[in-house]
Amino acid sequence: MTAAALAGRPQHRRSNLGLVTHQVGYEQLSFWRNPQSAVFTFVFPVLFVTIMGALFGSVGKSSYFGGLSALQYYVPTIAALSVLGSCYGQLAVALATRRQNGILKRVRATPLPAWAYFTGLLAHCVLVSLVDIALIVGVGGLYGVPFPSQWLAITLTLVLGAACFCALGVAVASVISNAEAAPAVAQLVLFPLLFLSGTYMPIHSQLLNQIAGWLPVRPFNEALTGPLSRHTGADWRHLAVLAAWGAVGAVVAISRFRWNPRPE
Amino acid sequence: MRTELTTRAAPAAAPIAQKGPFMPHAIIVAGLRKSYGSVQAVRDVSFSVRGGEIVALLGPNGAGKTTTLEILEGFRARDGGAVDVLGRDPGGKSGARELRERTGLVLQDIAVEPYLTVRETIARQAGYYQAPRAVPEVISLVGLAGLERRKVRALSGGQKRRLDLALGLIGDPELLYLDEPTTGFDPAARQDAWQLVRQLRAAGTTILLTTHDMAEAQALADRVVLLNSGLVVAEGPPAALGGRDAQRTRITFALPAGLSVADLPLPADARGGAAVIETTNPTEDLYQLTSWATHRGVALSALTVDRPSLEDVYLQLTRNGAQPGAPERSTR
Repeated sequence: MTAAALAGRPQHRRSNLGLVTHQVGYEQLSFWRNPQSAVFTFVFPVLFVTIMGALFGSVGKSSYFGGLSALQYYVPTIAALSVLGSCYGQLAVALATRRQNGILKRVRATPLPAWAYFTGLLAHCVLVSLVDIALIVGVGGLYGVPFPSQWLAITLTLVLGAACFCALGVAVASVISNAEAAPAVAQLVLFPLLFLSGTYMPIHSQLLNQIAGWLPVRPFNEALTGPLSRHTGADWRHLAVLAAWGAVGAVVAISRFRWNPRPE
Repeated sequence: MRTELTTRAAPAAAPIAQKGPFMPHAIIVAGLRKSYGSVQAVRDVSFSVRGGEIVALLGPNGAGKTTTLEILEGFRARDGGAVDVLGRDPGGKSGARELRERTGLVLQDIAVEPYLTVRETIARQAGYYQAPRAVPEVISLVGLAGLERRKVRALSGGQKRRLDLALGLIGDPELLYLDEPTTGFDPAARQDAWQLVRQLRAAGTTILLTTHDMAEAQALADRVVLLNSGLVVAEGPPAALGGRDAQRTRITFALPAGLSVADLPLPADARGGAAVIETTNPTEDLYQLTSWATHRGVALSALTVDRPSLEDVYLQLTRNGAQPGAPERSTR
């Protein structure tokens, strides 16, 4: 073909932005068509915050919840949980499955650059996380949690958190060799971390909090609690810890990621 | 599959830079080696594919076909040897995107996402290329017209395979890798797919094919490269592989009642109730035999004339140590 046949066809070298938008559009389409992913991503966190509201909706500000009402505590932690689910959990499982099915190999055989594929995934995850947070904040509002005002800080925290947990999700998918093991491994890592990080109940041990403070989940909880419930701005210290974890995830992902189902 | 492919037209003052001088060879592989740990998957493989040619890589499982293909496709690093695909080294980083722009591949696995429709799946892939074929054109080429709006997970296995084929074609590749493209097709679908492959060749596409189906290799390939244990054991046109064309023709028929092989006009062996004549001159011998039968008034029932099939040669060459039948054709 070379120049000859290319000349005969309509040329459209997409811009980088166009390529990413194209990719995000189809990721979204694929996502919304899959009832399972939509249910797990949206119904679970909304149900969770609804149940917490029914149980603790009347519990006012207390020192147990760090000077917040119960729901002011749970809205950010459940929001963080939903981002973990839609970024870390979804990506770890989806990428391991796509690799096993040969879908990643097929993508790699096209001219689509790797960065565009992953930027598309990240943007998709951020969009899903935004919907999740809006739903959770909405349900919180129904239980009388005041609406947040620091939207810029929320968006920044959300994007950084989503990027961090996407990187960690890709890293886990890179390390796992077969798709059947992916959900189990992803959850096994996450579940104790969630408890330790106060997602389900506040932790009052200084030592545990210090340890959890250096792991990825608690800093994200804290960074979301500020702008969502305390009306404070961006929590730079915790965001820095998140960014560091994101970098670690990205390094593992870049060095270990495989497109080919057959190992080297 | 009635859509006609447009032949690659002569260039009319190409607006983009020429990608290089005209190359007679689309693929050149020389002395390729690849090991996994202590297992030598590819020991020494050399072959070439001319532009516009269909070449079939044959060989038993574990012969090194997939490894060779993956090295050509740029998915795997080689241990040694030289590889040139469309003038580039697929193992090199530079120009990888351009090479992918010009090659298409159909993998062994059916690799399509379940929740998109046929049209969406193809349109998504089309968006990755600089100059893709038109989506409706490809849909009708692979015989999926009428199923554009069907979800992928509602397609049959054969239909998914056609979709796979569509994804390999959408970028309008100069070079197409087909890894067992018709596995799971019914006979009619297989004929359609073969027709499509011939159309692609007629339009100038170079095709490297792997298959376990000897009839497929026979029907499609201009040349066959037979691998065994990581080595090329034979190479040539399907009709001549392993000296098949030079081997003896076999004439077989049921021995007429009351006659023995000694009564026949030609030297023959009795095998069960059948007489077998092996000959290098089938025209002459058949004439003699049938004139004799007509004169005697006996019928030669179950008469067959055959030469070793591609499958016979394949089995001969890939079994037990794989001695090339015709060394002059071997490219060791």
